[in-house]
Amino acid sequence: MRETMRALLGLGPKTAPAPPEPPPGPRDPDEPIISFREVELSFDRPILQGVSFDLAPGTTKIVLGGSGSGKTTILRLILGLLKPDSGSIHVDGTEVGRLGEEELRPFRLKIGMVFQEGALFDSLTVGENVGYRLAEDGEMPEHEIEARVREMLGFVGLEKFYVRMPSELSGGQRRRVAFARALIAGPQIMLYDEPTTGLDPITATTITDLIAKVRDLDGVTSILVTHQLRDAFNVARTFMAKENGEFVPRMIGDLSTIEGTEFMMLRQGVVEFKGTPHELQTSEDPYIREFLS
Amino acid sequence: MASRTQLLVLSLGRRFSQRIKEVILAVQDYVLLTVRGLAAIVTPPHYYRELLAQMDGIGVQSLSIVVLTGMFTGMVLALQSAASLDAFGARPYVGRLVAISMVRELGPVLTALMVTGRVGSGMAAELGSMVVTQQIDALRVLGSDPVRKLVAPRLAAALIMVPILTVISDTVGIFGGSLISIFNLKLSWEYYWRSVGNAMVMNDLVMGFFKPLVFGLILSSVGCYMGLNTSGGTQGVGLSTTRSVVVASVTILSSDFFITKLLLLMFPVV
Repeated sequence: MRETMRALLGLGPKTAPAPPEPPPGPRDPDEPIISFREVELSFDRPILQGVSFDLAPGTTKIVLGGSGSGKTTILRLILGLLKPDSGSIHVDGTEVGRLGEEELRPFRLKIGMVFQEGALFDSLTVGENVGYRLAEDGEMPEHEIEARVREMLGFVGLEKFYVRMPSELSGGQRRRVAFARALIAGPQIMLYDEPTTGLDPITATTITDLIAKVRDLDGVTSILVTHQLRDAFNVARTFMAKENGEFVPRMIGDLSTIEGTEFMMLRQGVVEFKGTPHELQTSEDPYIREFLS
Repeated sequence: MASRTQLLVLSLGRRFSQRIKEVILAVQDYVLLTVRGLAAIVTPPHYYRELLAQMDGIGVQSLSIVVLTGMFTGMVLALQSAASLDAFGARPYVGRLVAISMVRELGPVLTALMVTGRVGSGMAAELGSMVVTQQIDALRVLGSDPVRKLVAPRLAAALIMVPILTVISDTVGIFGGSLISIFNLKLSWEYYWRSVGNAMVMNDLVMGFFKPLVFGLILSSVGCYMGLNTSGGTQGVGLSTTRSVVVASVTILSSDFFITKLLLLMFPVV
């Protein structure tokens, strides 16, 4: 975690000074919102080696891999919490690796992140946790923040937990509060780091339904990092259907008909597979077959 | 055989130079963190709620241990110094000796060590837990600067509260000495306090205020640095806590010597 301290102090790997960025023009709808090009990162050992991928707006990428394969590192790089040794990472047209900590703060507002265990602030109530970003901005009156927080807690089904402390919540409830906190400022991109790890199957389904809900109803671009295959396929299969005026989660039976979701598998920092859920399911690669079995 | 010895020496040399490099990098990180924390105290935005919470934690909640430590130190100082001064027939100077010892040395040092044990370790544990549970990352993702939000209020609170606690400790210690002088050494109340008053010069007050400022900065900055540098889960938090107490205590005691030497050069005792 020495990287945390060095990143806080802006002492990451040295990168060349940023060339002047062209003025922002109208966005090409086909242009990827997230783009990795030959990204390399090492600490004591190589973490990521030549990782390249694109993510189109409104689509979902599910990153699979065993422990220590570099999955979470990808999310940390997108947020600028870590800087790559080489290669480039573009998020919404901005090269993240070249931004300093001060420039990253406003940039991060367009991204929501759900951490593995929720990472809720222990000293704040659920309501304060969810409304943290709005309170920090200082632009919204307190009563409006409270109304917005209650709305978000309603979205994740925890409206009665406003004054509870994080220590009073179960694992699943903590993740749902983390969801509400990440969503409150209306991010364009959502990142999920192992959001179902350690949860029972029913609670895990609640979480995967929430991921599908955010993706389908708000059109948010998502990256889900997980090693739970069942939950990964659940996210790919689930879609929100309008029934009797309400949106309810439903499952697609045939994997080959799924659109807008791509799987990527990492093995020791190297991309082993990229493709649709159907291609993953039918892959003949021995490592993938072993992972899926 | 010779080549094996050479390899061993080379390996030791490499390890030693690696360790030196790590220490230099750690000192660089520590200094940068402290400077950024101090800069954040004087530049907006400020987190007043956090500052008040820290002042309460460092000041109000440390009051009882500081009062107890000060009181018993003053009392034992009176007893011990009386035993030595009696040999020269100088028992009436007990008040002077207690006051000078408390204000110049024992008050600032013992207060700082007690606060380090209670608060510095707490800072390391709290920030360390925040690191291992990714709360520091969450703060950064949510647009906050952890140095401004967490480090600056802790440094500011220590800079304000440690000198105040030291003054309280000094006062209680001198009062404790007076109780022993009156009830055990049979000195008069007036004589003791006149002796205390006569002993105090500007140099003592400068030392009495300057030292706690430096010690407050050391104990809080070391606590924050160790906490933010935590790795390895809950075991790492325990390790950071222990390290913060050891490093801060040793730094306080060693810096005490250099501050004393410097202040005696600047304001010589006549």
